[in-house]
This record gives sequence, structure tokens and C-alpha cells, in this order.
Amino acid sequence: MAKVNKINLPLDDYKGGKSTLCPGCGHDAISSVIMKAAWENSITPDGIAKMSGIGCSSKTPAYFLSQSHGFNTAHGRMPSVTTGANMANKNLNFLAVSGDGDTASIGVGQFIHAIRRNLNMLYIVENNGVYGLTKGQYSATAEEGSQKRKSAPNELKQIDLCAMAINLGCSFVARSFSGSRKQLTALIRAGMSHRGMAVIDVISPCVTFNNNEESYKSLQYVKNNNEELHGLDYIPHFNPIEEVEIPSGGYKEVKLHDGSYLRLETISEEHDVGDRMMALNAINNAEEKDKHVTGLLYFQEGIPTLDETENLVDTPLSELSEDMLRPPKETLEELLTSFRS
Amino acid sequence: MEKIINDFTINIATANGTGSQSANLILLNALFRMGTHASGKNLFPSNIAGLPTWYIVRVSDHGYQAPGDNTHIQVVMNIDTWNDDIADLKPGTVLIHNTDVKAPVNRDDLIVYPVPMTSMARKINPKLSKMVANMIYVGVMAEMLEIPQNILEEAISKQFGGKEKAIEINSQASLAGREYFKNDLEKKDNYFVEKRDGNNDQFLIDGNEAVALGCIYGGINMLSWYPITPSSSLAESIDKYIPKLRLDKDGKSTCAVIQAEDELAAVGMVLGAGWAGARGMTCTSGPGISLMSELIGLAYYAEVPSVIWDVTRVGPSTGLPTRTQQGDISMLYEASHGDTQHIVLIPGNVDECFEFGWKAFDYAEKYQTMVFGFTDLDLGMNLWVSNGFEYPNKPMNRGKVLRTKEELEKIENYGRYRDVDGDGIPYRTLPGSGLEPIVSRGTGRDEDGVYSEKASVYRTNMDRLRKKIEGSRTDLPQPILREEKEHDLGIIYYGSMENTIQEIDDILESTGMKVSQCRVRALPLSPEIDEFVRRHEKIIVLEVNRDGQMYGILRKEIATELVPKLYSVAFSDGLPPKAVEYAEAIIGTLESFEI
Repeated sequence: MAKVNKINLPLDDYKGGKSTLCPGCGHDAISSVIMKAAWENSITPDGIAKMSGIGCSSKTPAYFLSQSHGFNTAHGRMPSVTTGANMANKNLNFLAVSGDGDTASIGVGQFIHAIRRNLNMLYIVENNGVYGLTKGQYSATAEEGSQKRKSAPNELKQIDLCAMAINLGCSFVARSFSGSRKQLTALIRAGMSHRGMAVIDVISPCVTFNNNEESYKSLQYVKNNNEELHGLDYIPHFNPIEEVEIPSGGYKEVKLHDGSYLRLETISEEHDVGDRMMALNAINNAEEKDKHVTGLLYFQEGIPTLDETENLVDTPLSELSEDMLRPPKETLEELLTSFRS
Repeated sequence: MEKIINDFTINIATANGTGSQSANLILLNALFRMGTHASGKNLFPSNIAGLPTWYIVRVSDHGYQAPGDNTHIQVVMNIDTWNDDIADLKPGTVLIHNTDVKAPVNRDDLIVYPVPMTSMARKINPKLSKMVANMIYVGVMAEMLEIPQNILEEAISKQFGGKEKAIEINSQASLAGREYFKNDLEKKDNYFVEKRDGNNDQFLIDGNEAVALGCIYGGINMLSWYPITPSSSLAESIDKYIPKLRLDKDGKSTCAVIQAEDELAAVGMVLGAGWAGARGMTCTSGPGISLMSELIGLAYYAEVPSVIWDVTRVGPSTGLPTRTQQGDISMLYEASHGDTQHIVLIPGNVDECFEFGWKAFDYAEKYQTMVFGFTDLDLGMNLWVSNGFEYPNKPMNRGKVLRTKEELEKIENYGRYRDVDGDGIPYRTLPGSGLEPIVSRGTGRDEDGVYSEKASVYRTNMDRLRKKIEGSRTDLPQPILREEKEHDLGIIYYGSMENTIQEIDDILESTGMKVSQCRVRALPLSPEIDEFVRRHEKIIVLEVNRDGQMYGILRKEIATELVPKLYSVAFSDGLPPKAVEYAEAIIGTLESFEI
């Protein structure tokens, strides 16, 4: 018998179709973490909606969670389509995958406004600094001075999606690396437990176009220059926290909306995830040294989500019956009478 | 001199932002309350304050609603257009002018009523004198045309709905105007308004509000919109009616309203809502449609129920943003790249705006596709007579949605894109149901929704999509035909031209012609239109755009042997169509082709 999770499902029930990405692609590693995270969190696959835009990363929803509906939308438009779907059915767990071209360039406006509205979704950016499907052009997240294969160094400053998200008031902002499986799993599991917009920017090396040693987003470079803010452990709500082993060093816990915890274990100095300036500083300091800072950068609880702001009825709008949707005949007659007076 | 009763056109020239709109609406409403037919058109600039604006009121016992070809009564308040407005008048026209503007009237062939409107207004309310001056000309005209004060008072109360102070000031101003005309001027014109036994069921409403109400009764679940003239008031009307009509017993809403960051996002939200099983809609104008085009194609191809109302304005680009045109019809029909074909609903009056407002959602869900509503600034933003909206006469059509396992099991050989019933319309399941999930996408996929770039798979799917939309031809609102037994000449027209067609027809018939009419109410075209063309010797396709967009669609879609019967009469200058201009163009076209 295969091992099952809390809702008696084997990991196989969270798998998807065969990947068609290049062998060794960071995105496939992330897909595998997504499956594992959803399985370990015991989320019903039925209740997940997989959303994506266009690009290598946006193809991946076909490679995980085949029991969930998905929508591979248009380039840069995933946030707006997710917004509409969220209004239609606020009970869905939105799991979105996008890339750096999709999010930092063509879709940057929609990314910003989805954060502004605090959509209740997990937004994973699979960030490799290049456009893969169109054969390796620099994207807006490529660092100034970074150099992709067979190319001159990138001349423009990068857009840092985490700094942008923090500035916009996003309630959960993290950076990770496709090669840091443990950290990434904890963050994705926490992102799934968060209510509101969770943005995880995952550096995910492009093995074909951007994996040479001059590139700041190559596998080896990120391994050598990854500054972890803290060690991370996710403790699901169905595990009593008192039964979890207490780490020897300093630590802090972040309680998530569904009752789970993210445990942040101090590595060198303590990072306060509630301090926006500290988060921005951490990003800035790393950038100055051409390093990547990873971990949970910023977290804030209790910001109303869009479905709350919209004051929607409890039942998902897509499930309302006609008597809830079409006002009765008398109301129209009353209106017409008032028009006629 | 013979009296001219209930048959004239008033033109009121003011500057934008001076508060003339409420005075003009009061005048229109008072005329409407007299039981005669009155329609008003606001010609306004793309500006908030300062630029010239004209309000044109047509009074006609014939029911003509187009702006008349001549002005009979001209009000001038605006120094900037003063000279041109006066110079254009035909001899004998009534000119009511504000003497406080201190501009000359160098015409001795007009009937001139000078009124010191601003100083009179200042006596009533010094602070608001600029606005109150507008009610002075309303009072002057009411006395001149013999509209009783009680009718005017009703119109004032209606306009200011319970705001006592505003009602009092405006009532005072109208009385002052009336007194001035009575005591200081002498009636030299022969225009009068007489009370008619109007239809008490009628009222005035603009097309945008009518569509908005249609949407509310059509069960709209999500409105996403980006502000753009002339569609913004449609969105604002929906927003206005939700608290009244669409809250549950706990005060929670059954419809989300989101002001989007741009039109790209607005349409994305519509697709998201439709994909997840709700009724989503956006409203916009031509420039917005251009921005939405990519996702319009996605809705067509991924088969996502979606509704967009396009309240068209003059293009291209910003064109004349506050003027009217039937400019987007060909764009809507084939919006997006590759092979597409969209359902377009084309109401011709406010009652149909309401009806098509709710029907759009039924068609979108039935055919799992993009459905457009098409109106224009003239129909959308001007007030028109309604006979009363009819409550939807059938339950909502939610289309082929499988919500339970039992429903799914009844379908033999289910596949998201398989033509199980032979009508081209597949079944679908919703996210959250766990039933036969797929990744919806714009890239090639087979009948089960699995990615495929196979040539035969793509072609078969596209043929099915065509079949699906073809099937709507007889199901959509069918054309309205008014036929003469002679069958010499037929006019095919659509949309807001409905408001001018009767007058055009009367002008043509006065020359001895017998003219049939066919009003197109939806795309793709009904087969009835082929038959209408077949029965007639020659056909004029009449529309408010330069290129004859509907003419182009007809040429492509009707039987090849019928094409030579078609002649296009199409032009556009930003103004609502005037009957004489179009009638003359029809006659000119017939003569130039010697037909």
C-alpha cells in the first residue's frame, strides 16, 4: 500500500502529465515540490485551481495535480483571469505559476493590481532571468552585469519582484531556489496555508540558455551565493505543535491562517518578517553583493482579501440558484412605476 | 399666422460644466409630460468644463426622434460659439439669447427674445447664478410654448428627487423666466406645445441604464470595467442597482464589481468568472475592444462564456470620443487573430437594451462563447422613450454544465471538447467539482482537452466551433421586418438607426417610393435576411460609419447571387443620423447606379 496523507490519498493522486521541459529544468523541481506540498498539506485536489500565463513555467500546471482544473491563460493575464475566477468561486484554492517574463514584463501591471487587491492565492514565479520558449532573450529580472550563454552582459537593472511586492503591501513575500528543496517545500506549504496573496519568487535556473558560470541565475552561482535568512520548518495544523521537536538555536513561529505554523530558525542574525524595512534592506544588501537572499522576507496577517472587500455571499457565486440571481418580478414592476412617476 | 404645434427642434448652446444638463433634462421631461413625443440629444465635447456643448430637443407628434434637420428655436448662452450658432440659423428662427453675455446679434431676419438671464439668476441666488441662468431660459420657453407651470414643477421635482432647496431655486428661476417673457417680451413666433393623451406607461431612460438593468435581471455575478466614455455610465448603473436588487438577506452581494487596471484585465476577469461558472461581463468602447482582442480569441477557442457590451464611439483610436458612430460592428464580429466568429446582439431601442442585457448571459452560457452587446453613444447615453421592460419570460439558460457525478455519468463518451450532441456544443465541468478536470488553454488540444498540435485535430475542432456558432443563426433575436407589397426597395439597417428610420421612410414615401425595412438584431445573420433580400428588387444597407461595415458582412454571408442587389449608404460625422441627409443619400445612390 502506498503511503497516504490525512485525507487518505497517495502522492500519485497529486501527480500530473509528463513534463516536456528541458531535462534538468529548475521548473520540474518546483513542480515536484508543489505536488509534495499539496499532498503533505492534505489539500483536496478537487478544490485546487491551477492558474498560469504563458511561458515555460506556465506550461507546468499540466505536469502536476491532474485531478485539479487548470487554466493556462494568455501572456501576462493570469492575475486578471484568477481575479474573475476568485469572484466566481471564492472557495477554490488558487495555485498560480508564472515566470519572469510573464510577471515582470508583459504582466507586471496585473501582478501589481492583484497584490493591491490582495487576491486569496499562491503566486509562484519561476524566475530564470530569460525567455526560454522564444530561445533565450534576457528578461526584466536578469541582473545588471549577469551574462547568459553566448551573449553580452545584461545592461539594465533588474526588477526585483519581492521588493516590488513588499512595497505594494503584499501580505506574504518569499524568495527561494529550485535547488533548495527543503526551504522551498516549507515556503510553498506555508503559502498554501496563507489567506491572501502569497508571492514566492523562486530562482529556477534555465539549463539551456542561462546556466553558464557568468550568469547570476545559474545553478552553481545560486548555490554559491544563496544567503538564507533562516532555516524553515512547516508544521501543519493537524500536527500538534507541542509534539514537534524544539530546535536548539533561536527561532520564531509565524502562525498561518489555517492554524499551521512556519518555524523560522535563526541562522546568523534574526530577521523580523513583520518589518517591511528590514525585508527591503535584506534584499538591497544581497543585491549589492550580487547575492540572492532567500526565505520568508515579509509577512502580515489580517489584510482583507478581495472576496471579503467585495462582501460576497457565503455560497460561491457560481453555485447560486436562479432565485438568488434574478430579482423577483415585483421589483421590476416597482422600478417601472418609479420611472413613470 | 398658422400655429406650429408639437413639431419643431430646439437647440441649446451652452458651455460644458455650467450646469445646463439638469435644466435641459427638465425641459425634455416637461415636454414628455405634455404627452407629445420629445427626444433629447446631448452633443458634448471631450472636456469637463469650458468647451461648447449643445442640447438638441426634437418635439414631434409623429414620434420622430432624430435631431431635426433645421433648428426652429435656438438658445445661445456661450460666447465661444455665439456667432456661428446665430449665423447658421434660417430666417424666421426664434433666437433666445442671454443679454448678459454682451455679444451682438447681427441678424434682423430672426425672431429675437433678449433675456438678461445671468442678472435675473443673480437676484435669485448670487452664488449659483451661472447654473440658475439655465433655468431662466427653460422658464422663458415654457411661457413661450405654453407649457403649464405645474407640468414644469413636476419635471423639476423629478430631476432633483427630494432635494427641497434645489427644487425651490429652480422653480423660482423658471417662474422668473416665465414672468419676464409675459411682461417684457411679446410673443412673435408661432410655436406651441399642446397636451396630448400620451401613453402613461411610457418613460424616458438611456440605453446604458436599460442594459444595466437587463444585466441585473440576467443574474450578472461579476462586472469588471475600466472607465471609458460612453460606456462608463453602464457600469455605474449596475453598481447603483446592486444594493437595491442583488443583496441577500444578510446584506451580502451576489455580484462583484471591480474597477480594473485596464481593459486587458477587465476582459481577463470576465474569462476567469466564466471559466469558473459565474456570469461575468465587462463594458467598454472601441479602444477597449482593441485591447481585449487577444483574450476575446481565447474565450472563443477555449469556449469560455463571456459577455462584453460595446457602447461604440467615433474611431479610429480616440477619434471623437464623445460622439456617436456604428463603428465597431465588423471588428466585433471577427475580433482577435485567426479564425473567430462572435455572437453580437444589436438592440435598436431601450426596451431591447434591457432584453438583450439579460439574454446575453443565456447565449454566452448556452454557446460557451464570447457574446457582444452592441450599442452606441447615441442609444447608450441619450434619453429615449421606453414602453416598459418585460420581465424575462423564461428561466436562465446555464448551458451544458455538468455539476454532479450523476450528470456526468449520463453523458456517453464525455470529453471537454467532444461534440456529443451533434450541435457543436460540448459539455463542460467546473473547477472545484473534481469532475473530468483539464487544463483549459489557447493552444491546440484534442476532444478530451489534452494538448495536441496534430493538423487533423486542430481542423476538426475549428470546424466544430464554426458549426456551434452557425447553429445560433436561427436562435438569436431575429430581424424585424416591415414589408411593402411592391418589394421594389428594401432597407437593411441596425441599432440606433431605428430612431431615425421612420422619418427616413416617410421622406422616401413622400417621393412616391415604397420602401420595406429589415432591422438586423444579431450576428451571425439570420437566414431570414437572405429571404428578405431575395424578395426585393434592390437593397440599401444603411449605417453610421464610412465604410459600410454591415454591408461588408452581408456581402460575405448572403447567397452569392443576391450580392449584386446590395447598395451601401454609409457615412459618419460623429453626429446622430439626420433623416433628410440619409434619405437624400439613398435617393442619390439609387440615381447614381441608375437602379
